[in-house]
Amino acid sequence: MGKTILQYSLLGIALILAQVIVFNHICLFNVAVPMVFIYLIVRLPITLSVNWVLTISFFTGLLVDIFSDTQGMNAMACTVLGFCRKPVFRLYVPREEDVTRPEPTMHTLGTAVFIKYLSTATLLYCILVFTIEAFTFFNPLQLVLRIVCSTILSTVLMLGIDSLMTPRSEKRL
Amino acid sequence: MSELFKFILKYSAWFLFVVYMVLSAMLLFSGNPFQHHVYLSSANYVSSGVYRMSNNVGSYFSLREINEDLQRRNSDLELEIYRLNDIIRGYQHQIYADTMTVDPALDRYDFIIAQVINNSINHSHNYITIDKGELDGVRPEMGVMDQNGIVGIVNVVGPHTARLMSVLNPYQRLSCKVKGQQQVGSLVWDGKSPSEALLEELPKHARFVKGDTIVTSGYSSVFPEGVPVGTVIGGSRDREDNFFTLRVKLFTDFSTLSIVRVIDDKMKDELSEVERNLEIKEGY
Repeated sequence: MGKTILQYSLLGIALILAQVIVFNHICLFNVAVPMVFIYLIVRLPITLSVNWVLTISFFTGLLVDIFSDTQGMNAMACTVLGFCRKPVFRLYVPREEDVTRPEPTMHTLGTAVFIKYLSTATLLYCILVFTIEAFTFFNPLQLVLRIVCSTILSTVLMLGIDSLMTPRSEKRL
Repeated sequence: MSELFKFILKYSAWFLFVVYMVLSAMLLFSGNPFQHHVYLSSANYVSSGVYRMSNNVGSYFSLREINEDLQRRNSDLELEIYRLNDIIRGYQHQIYADTMTVDPALDRYDFIIAQVINNSINHSHNYITIDKGELDGVRPEMGVMDQNGIVGIVNVVGPHTARLMSVLNPYQRLSCKVKGQQQVGSLVWDGKSPSEALLEELPKHARFVKGDTIVTSGYSSVFPEGVPVGTVIGGSRDREDNFFTLRVKLFTDFSTLSIVRVIDDKMKDELSEVERNLEIKEGY
């Protein structure tokens, strides 16, 4: 239990640092912004109580907000994502007994299901963030383009992170 | 009461969700973005520390571009400095020409104001380069002086520049005399100090004391008579006992030369014509 908490804390710190130091400064073709830190929320054990997920999500978003000077934007989007995480998961995995381990990863869920789960969550998050952002400058076409491109870019990056996170011994199984 | 607790516990997720949403909405819509709390901005201790650290590393990546930019900017500024210096020099020349007092006896002479652009004092044969040349009227064999005294003689002339043989060059011998006397000697540099030269071959009946002024003799068209050269600081007799050799402290400070006058003798052609005719006649 303690080991898991430590692992998640380290993952969270690494992801937030990577987000604020590297990924926040990337903006491909002026539309695609990679949002990789939500991988932490996506990866939280599915058996964890919603209260904990909400709390972790809120504070993760708040931390990113503090670093990127976007007060409340990521915190709100992350809270919604944390709340909707389980329903999204249920969409693709109707019966929890099918899952061998609580962490949703490519290894435990299978590639197709995990990609579907991940991209849906990312899309949800991107819609929230960019819509909140759009309160300042509203441009529908630009907004849709940003949401779609950022979702694709973030999903691809997070799939990469996921494959890095999987220990080699598990891959051989 | 317990019912209420049960209710809250049962829907705790919803309550928490609402609480967090309200919190983030309060942050998000707190109005004036200029009044955000410092702890919730990237200016706080931790995040600024993190950014400073990452910047310490990241700043090295773009050094090449920054360097190129700086070089470009630097060269632009240098060009600008050269341009401004040119303008200033032009004005300086104008002031110099306007304020210079010209002895009426020197009506025969014209001055071309020039700027020293290269100068040496530490070689055994020193040369000076000026920024006026053939197109400005500079010809070989013209004398050059500055506000203090003689500088040298024009030696090689290009279209826009000219090279002078400095007084500090042993190839150069100038005819000079003690001011107020008639005996003429030749001034030559002995290579010891850039502020001193020797006046050799001065006939032994010449009278002088330490501190006397040495001037040009005017026995050529290079320098008019009476251009100051320096002061006597010592003297000795040559071995043959027929001539004096005087040590002269030069008026001209060769280490700080900047603006000089090239002396254009209007009678030079006439003189050389006469002298050539003489030579031809003597040849017969």
